[in-house]
Amino acid sequence: MRRILGLLVLALGLAWAQGDKLKACFIYVGPIGDAGWTYAHDQGRKKAEAALPWLETRYVESVPEAQALPVIDRFVREGCQVIFATSFGYMEAVLEGGKKYPNVIFAHATGIKRAPNVATYMADFYQVYYLNGLAAGALSKTGKVGYVAAFPIPEVKRHINAFTLGVRAVNPKAQVLVRWINAWYDPAKAREATEALLAQGADVFAFTEDTPTVIQTAAKKGAYSFGHYTPMLKFAPDHVVSGQIVHWEVIYIDFLKKVKEGVYTAKNLENVDYFWLLQHKAVEMGADYGVPINPKHVPLLQKAEMTVGGKKVSVYDRIMALLKDMQSPKPTFDPFTGPIQDRKGVVRIPAGKKATLQELLTMEWAAPGVVGDWPGEPK
Amino acid sequence: MEEALLRAVLFGTPILLASLGALLSERGGVVNLGVEGMMALSALAAFAAALEAGPVWGVLCGVGVGSLLGLFLGVFAVFLRANQFVAGLALAALGLGASGLLGKRYEGTPLPDPLPEGVLAGLALILALGLHLLLSRTRYGLYLRSVGENPKAADLFGVSVDGVRYLALALGGGMIGLAGAYLSLAYRPSWTDGMTSGLGWVAIALVILAGWQPLRAVLGAYFFGLLFFLQFRLQGSVPIPSEAFAAMPYLLVILVLALSGRARAPRALGQPFDRGR
Repeated sequence: MRRILGLLVLALGLAWAQGDKLKACFIYVGPIGDAGWTYAHDQGRKKAEAALPWLETRYVESVPEAQALPVIDRFVREGCQVIFATSFGYMEAVLEGGKKYPNVIFAHATGIKRAPNVATYMADFYQVYYLNGLAAGALSKTGKVGYVAAFPIPEVKRHINAFTLGVRAVNPKAQVLVRWINAWYDPAKAREATEALLAQGADVFAFTEDTPTVIQTAAKKGAYSFGHYTPMLKFAPDHVVSGQIVHWEVIYIDFLKKVKEGVYTAKNLENVDYFWLLQHKAVEMGADYGVPINPKHVPLLQKAEMTVGGKKVSVYDRIMALLKDMQSPKPTFDPFTGPIQDRKGVVRIPAGKKATLQELLTMEWAAPGVVGDWPGEPK
Repeated sequence: MEEALLRAVLFGTPILLASLGALLSERGGVVNLGVEGMMALSALAAFAAALEAGPVWGVLCGVGVGSLLGLFLGVFAVFLRANQFVAGLALAALGLGASGLLGKRYEGTPLPDPLPEGVLAGLALILALGLHLLLSRTRYGLYLRSVGENPKAADLFGVSVDGVRYLALALGGGMIGLAGAYLSLAYRPSWTDGMTSGLGWVAIALVILAGWQPLRAVLGAYFFGLLFFLQFRLQGSVPIPSEAFAAMPYLLVILVLALSGRARAPRALGQPFDRGR
């Protein structure tokens, strides 16, 4: 009798413990050690787990797009209540999984399609790229800034445009030379693309791809660069000026808390779309955590001047002022504020208007100053 | 222009080294499809050793691991007389997977003192010349070729077919290991999973396209390096889409080498040698 009672208590205890934990599961497109995209998501997962004692997580890495649905099936069988799919290519699988399992909550990173139980989320860098563009414009002596880019998709184009607007705000004659490598991860292509840009006279570099190759290659020739996605200062401490760093955990923690509190359910996610920026602390400007600008380059940027509203200000002060503004809860500045024409002279954002979220997410045009092939450029 | 030639040599070097390694064992009759995995594991070994003990140890370790992997392939291809294509493909997959797993803690770590690329590039050229002379001018080259062309006859003349094949795999593996070390110590001084990005497969194709001739492999590798660089140098300045440019190096190298004369594979290539049959 006593034994039965004991078992009963144990079973109740287990059931209570089970019910109390929220189980969130992650589908990763790459290996967690890739130092780029998947690594950053996994850091976010770990930090969320550390911050939320009631959270239990699980992940599967290197999942090809065609395998996403079987992984979702498995996760649901294992009792996952929230499933994060961290690649654009999982879109169809996530929507199908959402229909198949109407009681499971899904969230799709970089996604554009939602459902009652499928939300989308993104931590976007365009503001940070603009600020880094200001620094790049000030640091380039040749007036040629190199940009090694992964794929010609709206997200990357938006970042190149924001960066170029920044460069030209300091040096209106500067050019941003863009080279596409058509890969998220290919060190050899990133290396040779950087070499090609160096040979063409570029002396400052930014990039959107998943390795520190551009930084290492540029530093060999003494060229400045900006890190991307994770802190990359250590790869060239004398040459990395700043960069873009992501904090996925901010979104994960917010989302999971709201699920736990019952704010988000499997019925009301149709309009839940995170497009989180500097003010949400989902992204950071810096070569390393807490270092917006490499102290070695601060004097150079303080000396450099630019014209803002007819007045001369130091580039450093301008960057810091805008950073502070965009980190505040109600930013007044936005890089994509009109009048902005594209490089063919077509007005893309009228004077006094800011680009809408829709315009940001579907950006195909090229900003003035962008030089190079631009697949999908509107006529 | 100078820049382009320099890139041709410096990017051609890892491809050349890996091709030479595969070429050496293939002249002895053993197909090596494991190059990509061998490069990845030696790149990791070289990087780990260089971090702990300095770049020279890194190079030695990369070469050593490459040789061991060559012998490992030999266990299947020579001792067990397994299907060489299957064994090689398995080694490629195993090497890529194992290096990814073992290398996790080295990801995102910069190498404090990288090696100059020029030294290794020079060494690769010397190795190519040496291999050419070995194959065409020496007794040992004759042994190797006879084992690759007609192992039965070689065996009758007292040449140890298995011994020669093991040696060719070990030496070739060392060159493939050097290619891996070049990638992680000089070309891109760091380790990341999958950093060989398909160069091993390019090297295997180059062996065939170069007609199993070391000096033609030099030309092929440098030509590939040149075109690979030019796809970025010319991108945007000529009205050709970047995707088409990306395919160019592969297409042009195939075209040029195909036009420059036909080659014959070693006759016993891919066939396990069984003395009793």
